[in-house]
Amino acid sequence: MATKLTTAGALTATIAMGAVIAGCAGAGGPQSDSGAITDDAIKLGVITDLSGVYSELAGPNAVEAVTMAVEDFKAEHGEDVVTQNIEVTDADHQNKPEIANTTAREMYDRDGVDAIFDVPTSSAALAVANVAKQNQKMYFNIGAATTELTGEQCNAYTYHYAYNTYMLAHGTGKTVTEQGAENWYIIYPDYAFGQDMNKSFTAAIKDAGGSVVKADPTPFPNDNFSTFMTKAPTLSPKPDVMGTMQAGGDLVNVVKQYNEFGLRDKGVELAVGLMFDTDIASIGVDKLEGTLYTTPWFWNLDDQSREWADRFKDRTGTRPTFDHAANYSAAMQYLQAIQRAGSDDADTVREELDGHTFDDFFARNAEFRAADHAVTHDAHLARVKEESDVEEDFDFTELVETIPADEAYMDAADSGCEMG
Amino acid sequence: MLNVDNVTARYGEAQVLQGVSLDVDTGEVVTLVGRNGAGKTTLLRCLMGLHRSMTGDIRFDGTSIATLSPHKRCRAGLGYVPDDRGIYASLSVEENLTLPPVVGPDAWSLEKVYETFPVLAERRRQAGTHLSGGEQQMLAMARVLRMGARILLADEPTEGLAPLLVRQIGEIIRTVKEHGVTVLLIEQNVHFASTVADRHYLIAQGRVVESLDNAEVEQREHELLEYLGI
Amino acid sequence: MSGLLQQLFNGLVSGSFYALLALGLSVIFGMLGVVNFAHGAFYMLGAFGAFVLLDSAGLSWWLALLVVPILLGVIGMVLERLFVHRLMHLFPLYNFLLTFGIALILQDLIRMKYGVTSQPYARPSILDGSVDLGLFTYPKYQVFVFVFSIALSGLVWLVLSRTRVGMIVRASTERAELTQSLGIDVRRWVTPVFGFGIALAGLAGVLAAPMRAVNSSMGADLIIVIFAVVVIGGLGSVLGSVAAGYIVGMVTAIGNFYVPALSQSLVFVLMALVLLLRPAGLFGREEGVHA
Ligand SMILES: Nc1ncnc2c1ncn2[C@@H]1O[C@H](COP(=O)(O)OP(=O)(O)OP(=O)(O)O)[C@@H](O)[C@H]1O
Ligand SMILES: [Mg+2]
Repeated sequence: MATKLTTAGALTATIAMGAVIAGCAGAGGPQSDSGAITDDAIKLGVITDLSGVYSELAGPNAVEAVTMAVEDFKAEHGEDVVTQNIEVTDADHQNKPEIANTTAREMYDRDGVDAIFDVPTSSAALAVANVAKQNQKMYFNIGAATTELTGEQCNAYTYHYAYNTYMLAHGTGKTVTEQGAENWYIIYPDYAFGQDMNKSFTAAIKDAGGSVVKADPTPFPNDNFSTFMTKAPTLSPKPDVMGTMQAGGDLVNVVKQYNEFGLRDKGVELAVGLMFDTDIASIGVDKLEGTLYTTPWFWNLDDQSREWADRFKDRTGTRPTFDHAANYSAAMQYLQAIQRAGSDDADTVREELDGHTFDDFFARNAEFRAADHAVTHDAHLARVKEESDVEEDFDFTELVETIPADEAYMDAADSGCEMG
Repeated sequence: MLNVDNVTARYGEAQVLQGVSLDVDTGEVVTLVGRNGAGKTTLLRCLMGLHRSMTGDIRFDGTSIATLSPHKRCRAGLGYVPDDRGIYASLSVEENLTLPPVVGPDAWSLEKVYETFPVLAERRRQAGTHLSGGEQQMLAMARVLRMGARILLADEPTEGLAPLLVRQIGEIIRTVKEHGVTVLLIEQNVHFASTVADRHYLIAQGRVVESLDNAEVEQREHELLEYLGI
Repeated sequence: MSGLLQQLFNGLVSGSFYALLALGLSVIFGMLGVVNFAHGAFYMLGAFGAFVLLDSAGLSWWLALLVVPILLGVIGMVLERLFVHRLMHLFPLYNFLLTFGIALILQDLIRMKYGVTSQPYARPSILDGSVDLGLFTYPKYQVFVFVFSIALSGLVWLVLSRTRVGMIVRASTERAELTQSLGIDVRRWVTPVFGFGIALAGLAGVLAAPMRAVNSSMGADLIIVIFAVVVIGGLGSVLGSVAAGYIVGMVTAIGNFYVPALSQSLVFVLMALVLLLRPAGLFGREEGVHA
């Protein structure tokens, strides 16, 4: 019996090997075709969180945004479009770097994907950057915040499109400090994103002449922040503001408990590192009235944003987050570059993109910065509206001031990126 | 009163009881003697309905109870004292006494229990397992009296007790008998058995091999002791 | 000094949730021998129950506090009758598969309907603001949570220790088979006890809704700690699980205060220590020790 099993096992393995080899040969075939557009098709792959904690901020609607960009692109160029064959595929990486890594490999190698989009969660984002570099294929990160993508781990095929921790910190940390809240108490979730945010905020606060009284890592996920709430007013010197770097459910917990403990009445204001409309809806506008935060975009920013947001809502039934808008924008910029260059070859496309400047509903005063591949653009310091000013669902945000692109992003020289 | 007919029992593949048959009449004290691992405890568990894989018939007062669930057998009048005495740590002495429902007309009142066993009265508020081994045995038997059970099924009540306490258990069993309660007793101590019981069954390899009276037991005490490996 | 006391009080409040959840888990385990991995999901359902009742029927939080546990208790009893009781004589792996499966299904159903983001829930206005506790002031709502859970645990304890029903539950929890052979139909008590445990989890969920994020994963995130609490208190020990709930709450609060980075592992360090020194848990009875 045992021998039979082994024989069967060996057989299966052999067949599998055969299939793999055959598959490789098959995949290799069309690539040798000459022509400007490989496979006579452009394939866009969206790797995102399809069912987990970021599935509403990014998720299926990010895929929808990319699809929308493809349709708009085709409609715009009509007969002259570089190819009619533009496909969008998607995959769930569950926010895990290992899964993101294998999925990205499969997309580039097996599915012939030309460019990958989105990839929330910093660790997963960095894993995909590595794959893009090895495969020499395009990658536009939208969903992750880490500055590493355009820092020490930058590469020629990776663009970081929407935002990063530096932008959030310099928008919120700097502005709030300059407004007079000089002493900060920072709480951050104890993983890559939180640690990165803590670093960026601390730097921004110091730059603006403030100081961080204390920075506490918190468990993740966590539903009980009472310790930090009772600690805050007892610190010496007493902090003027509590900066929370939590996201999603944890952020909701922080804000609920901040209100429970009446910290505002005790003279400790709240500043939020990263916030989405969905978070505001969860917490309740009334509980967040007046809270300052930085965002690369929000749907109610101006007429052209609203117009796009309306079209998005017609398709999806919901208002877009900045991740959705940025996915659309990035896919569109990528396709336009192919149209201009007449080729989807990665090296041709990135040369076309490097140094390219543009304006669209998402990105203003934007530039594909050649030195570190940050796609720089204006950011926005926003404030949560008064409840009475809210006119519809997700109409939560008003603009305080626009942060010009050159302030929203660190100098390329400081980024630590050696493109090579 | 209790008729056991061709009862078999197994643990998985291992057949432990090979077809045990025995009878206990009203008012009798009968002991079940046998080596370690002979299947005595298993038989008692079969009688109480605690052992699932069992065949054969068990009649109590003429009606078959073989398919009844344990609590119904108890309510029919079977009073069980397991080999570990079955005293609850999370119940006080008094709660240990009053946990089972009253199942017969001759049930003892609490007062009567406390009069007969003053130690239990003294320690009624303590946790059941705070009693000494002998006291716990006393408590377990008192519990059966307090229920008003008609037959006491006791699994090696004297095991591990000092001689003085063994005598005390003997006293209790005689008290039980005087109150008209029938007794089926598992016992390794043949000498003790012959002082409290009317008849004895010798059980070996999952079968009843012999039925003995007191005189026979006394006569063959040495042989039996040797057989039991004591 | 008052800082430390305040941290301890923080711990008591979060411990209130641990205690209520561990209490239910513990009675269920004692009575059925089933480790209910779905316990966190029912906590989550409790919070969602409060949310749905408010959102769709305008039912106040106070009513939810009454209605939701009863509703969930009934659902729990139905589940017990349909599935859980079949586990009692099976290999423990089936226990895990069934209850964990139920947890995943409930969680995914909620996620399908409400997504992954949190639902808004405001605390009842009568519990707005704070109260002066002498050494420090504290949010009124959280004081209420603590008092309520202590009172409820106390009530459960009274019922368990002073009533015949309690005696039967204790006896069945300690030794189900023996209790059965002493004339008590243990199975008849199993269903209501399971329902009761579930109701307690739901109640904890309703209590959590105003102060915590109401989302589909809120229970899953909590349940691991609850298991640690039950182990620390002693499997099947009701008093132990309640006490351990508050102790773990306080230990975590102190940990958060002095070494925030380690506070999460602290619970498990405590668990390991307890297991090392008292394998049966702080309040558990070691088999055979008293026999
Ligand atoms: N749970 C069990 N699983 C498997 N085998 C068992 C189990 N319990 C008992 N046995 C076996 O069944 C046989 C009978 O056991 P039982 O306990 O009925 O004997 P006993 O006569 O009461 O012994 P003792 O005098 O030691 O109490 C023994 O061989 C024992 O090893
Ligand atoms: Mg035995």
